[in-house]
Amino acid sequence: MTGVLEARDIVKTFAVTRDGKTSRVAAVNHVSLAVEPGEIVGLVGESGCGKTTISRIMIGIESADSGTVLYRGQPVVSRADWRALRREVQYVFQDPFTALCPTMRIGAALAEPLIIHRIGAPSERADRVAKMLEMVGLHPDVARRLPNQLSGGQRQRVNLARALMLEPRILICDEIVSGLDVSIQAQVLQLLIDLQEKLGLSLIFISHDLRVVRYLASRVLVMYGGEIVEQGASEAVFDDPQHAYTRTLLAAIPDHSRVPAPAHNLGA
Amino acid sequence: MSISVATHPDRPRSGPPLWRRLHLNPPLVAGAVLLTVLLLSAIAAPLLATAGPMDIDLRAVRQAPSAAHWFGTDAVGRDLFSRVLYGGQVSLLVAGLGMMGSLSFGTLMGMLGAFGANWVRPIIDRAIDIQLAFPYVLLAIAITSAVKPSTPVLVLLMVLAAWAGAARVVRAIALQERGKDYVKAADVLGVSRLRIALLHVFPTVLPSLMVLAAMQMAAMIVFEATLSFLGMGVQPPTPSWGGIMLDGKNYITSSWWLTALPGLAIVLTSLSLVLIGDGLQARTDALRSREGDQ
Amino acid sequence: MARQNVLSVENVSVSFPGNSGDLIVVDDVSFTLAAGESLVIAGESGSGKSMICQSLLGILPPQAKVSGTRIDWLGRDLLQAGDKDWRTIRGAEIAMIFQDPTAALNPLITVEHQIGDAIRDHRKCSRAEARARTIEVLGMAGFPEPEHRMKSYPSELSGGLRQRVAIALALSCGPKLIIADEATTNLDVSIQAQIVTLLKKLQQDLGLALIFVTHDLGLAAQVGDNLLVMYAGHAVEQGGVRQVLDDPCHPYTRGLLRSAPTLQSSRANPLRPIPGQAPKPGSIGKGSPFRSRCPVVVDGVCEVMRAPWTNVAPGHDVACHRFARDGREGVQ
Repeated sequence: MTGVLEARDIVKTFAVTRDGKTSRVAAVNHVSLAVEPGEIVGLVGESGCGKTTISRIMIGIESADSGTVLYRGQPVVSRADWRALRREVQYVFQDPFTALCPTMRIGAALAEPLIIHRIGAPSERADRVAKMLEMVGLHPDVARRLPNQLSGGQRQRVNLARALMLEPRILICDEIVSGLDVSIQAQVLQLLIDLQEKLGLSLIFISHDLRVVRYLASRVLVMYGGEIVEQGASEAVFDDPQHAYTRTLLAAIPDHSRVPAPAHNLGA
Repeated sequence: MSISVATHPDRPRSGPPLWRRLHLNPPLVAGAVLLTVLLLSAIAAPLLATAGPMDIDLRAVRQAPSAAHWFGTDAVGRDLFSRVLYGGQVSLLVAGLGMMGSLSFGTLMGMLGAFGANWVRPIIDRAIDIQLAFPYVLLAIAITSAVKPSTPVLVLLMVLAAWAGAARVVRAIALQERGKDYVKAADVLGVSRLRIALLHVFPTVLPSLMVLAAMQMAAMIVFEATLSFLGMGVQPPTPSWGGIMLDGKNYITSSWWLTALPGLAIVLTSLSLVLIGDGLQARTDALRSREGDQ
Repeated sequence: MARQNVLSVENVSVSFPGNSGDLIVVDDVSFTLAAGESLVIAGESGSGKSMICQSLLGILPPQAKVSGTRIDWLGRDLLQAGDKDWRTIRGAEIAMIFQDPTAALNPLITVEHQIGDAIRDHRKCSRAEARARTIEVLGMAGFPEPEHRMKSYPSELSGGLRQRVAIALALSCGPKLIIADEATTNLDVSIQAQIVTLLKKLQQDLGLALIFVTHDLGLAAQVGDNLLVMYAGHAVEQGGVRQVLDDPCHPYTRGLLRSAPTLQSSRANPLRPIPGQAPKPGSIGKGSPFRSRCPVVVDGVCEVMRAPWTNVAPGHDVACHRFARDGREGVQ
């Protein structure tokens, strides 16, 4: 398996102390995953399955105990490698309320990556910020605001806009729509599809909501207990799940297009 | 569900009155008014004083407060009211310098304790622990026995005695912020550690720093008075509140005003600063909780 | 439904004092609930769905103002209830399960004592009786090995088990109505499915009335007999769950269904987001709450007055000017 961005055989363990004894628990256990140019990969699983950990390892926020992250076929090892990778791979955090600096105005937060990487003349930067805000469906006036003056949906768009300022080729999105209202969620999903189609952006889209992943991703990986238990094309995995866990997960999805079975048939 | 109080995102905020935008509260206003009165009277000492602070009048020694001498006179007949006014200049200046010095140094150390290199952080942690465990009066005695007491030495003593408290608060807040996603997000975007510390995290420390400044100032006023009272602070004949009390110490049973009235000045100043500190804290809490609602 | 109504909410509004006049967060909402029946209140954040539930238990923030014709609970008017009345109603007659079980449980008290204390608060009984009842309700809530594990502290339990404890706590005093406010929102889907199944089962076995508040229409389809759709503090459509989901007649309900992905949706049949954002409380004025985002506004009508309820089918009503004027074709 190769791709533009690839994680190969990643292992990450955490120390857990219970009853005075410390043991190591594998949060991610020999996981490999790759994303192709222009592809949307869905990574699904329940809380604690290791999906956030593997995604954070792929951008270098957390480090793996063993295994390699490769970008364009080259292992990413040194600080300089990570810096180069982060010019082209960006990460959108789950919680729109903690992912923005509370004291920094939106315009400054969006212009910062341009300043750091010396992109564009200082006079152009405000323009670029305004354009990006429009692209994610916000009014350019938002640049003057502080994060606490925005709603959750607006903040999540700002987060997305900030990650897009460096014009990345790959975006890793960690549960970015799960906290949003349905009508806003659909707007953000549409935006992601537009970005993929217009800019050829690749996405690693992490979610516990299989309905969203089914809609968005062409390929899906199902994680359980730190391991990938099933992967394949979305239609294949959703229509003909092979692993028992995938089937349980699919059966548990509340779906208004499906008439539920009477309660006594499901067993408590 | 929360009730959003943010204005409509596409319209600039229409201006509520200034006092509302500043989110003032009663203790904050009361403290600020009291402190302003005290500061102004110290600054305007030459205008308000009924006599020179060092004018000796041996015909009027240890007189009780009266119309001629509002605060009475001391053992050599100096007008106590004038001395307390001029003493305020010295005490407030020294305490202010001590506060700013200890806060600046403490903030620097605290930020280093949170954002410094891996080998720097444990050193600063230990330094804070040691400083907090060390009694400052002992420190003062040690230093003043080595160097001649003077006003610069006094300020230095204050910085040495108080930086660790500020450093601990700053370090705790900065560490907490450092764990948040916005710091990681900045890191992923390539923002340097120094820039994260200065532009992202430091502004979030500022509100707490303002609270700390008021509390620290109160502590410094008392500290100056303590050291001057022990003879290690501002040197006679320059009046300072602690020094005036030291002068009056021998007559504490017969001439109460010599110690009680400069003491009252100290109490009022500390009270105003504590009120300001409480008020700022309440204001910060209110602003933060409103942030959380949205 | 020939069953007798236990709860009848008539024209209830909730408002908060604001800088420029009162902010109305629930505006003139009415519904009824029969014994053994379940009602799903669905809506997005800010729709007022939690506020209306809190008004049924008298637990709104102190500055909130509740007004209306009547909230009839078993012949009593909850709008007139005082502190003493609430004490006999809360827990014993109406119980609530919250979104966050951690916040609803005291971290320093074991599960056993937490439920036991609640039981002994409401009725005089011996410790042994309270203990027996604790084991019984924990068993009913599907808490494994209750005799043994009820000695645990809440922090020692998983999120799903904590929510089962919260359910047991709600059941402990034998209420006739349980309100579940986003009670499964923070849980993993497989745990969520278990909890929903449990609530349905309890409702049927014990003949409880159930109000289930959710933002997820998929869950609504699984839980409820009836569905009330709320938007910006207003009820916009109500009826049988399948009636509303299969034949949505309010443009908001339709928009919501077209925005929510299902396991059948694919990019060949794209989601159609509702443009714009929900209005802020206080900015709605006299007209239809949905008019700023509505694709089928009736010009000159939706801006100036609320839509009256129009009957779609027996038991299914919608508050929409366009539907009232042009029927189903109008809102397509």
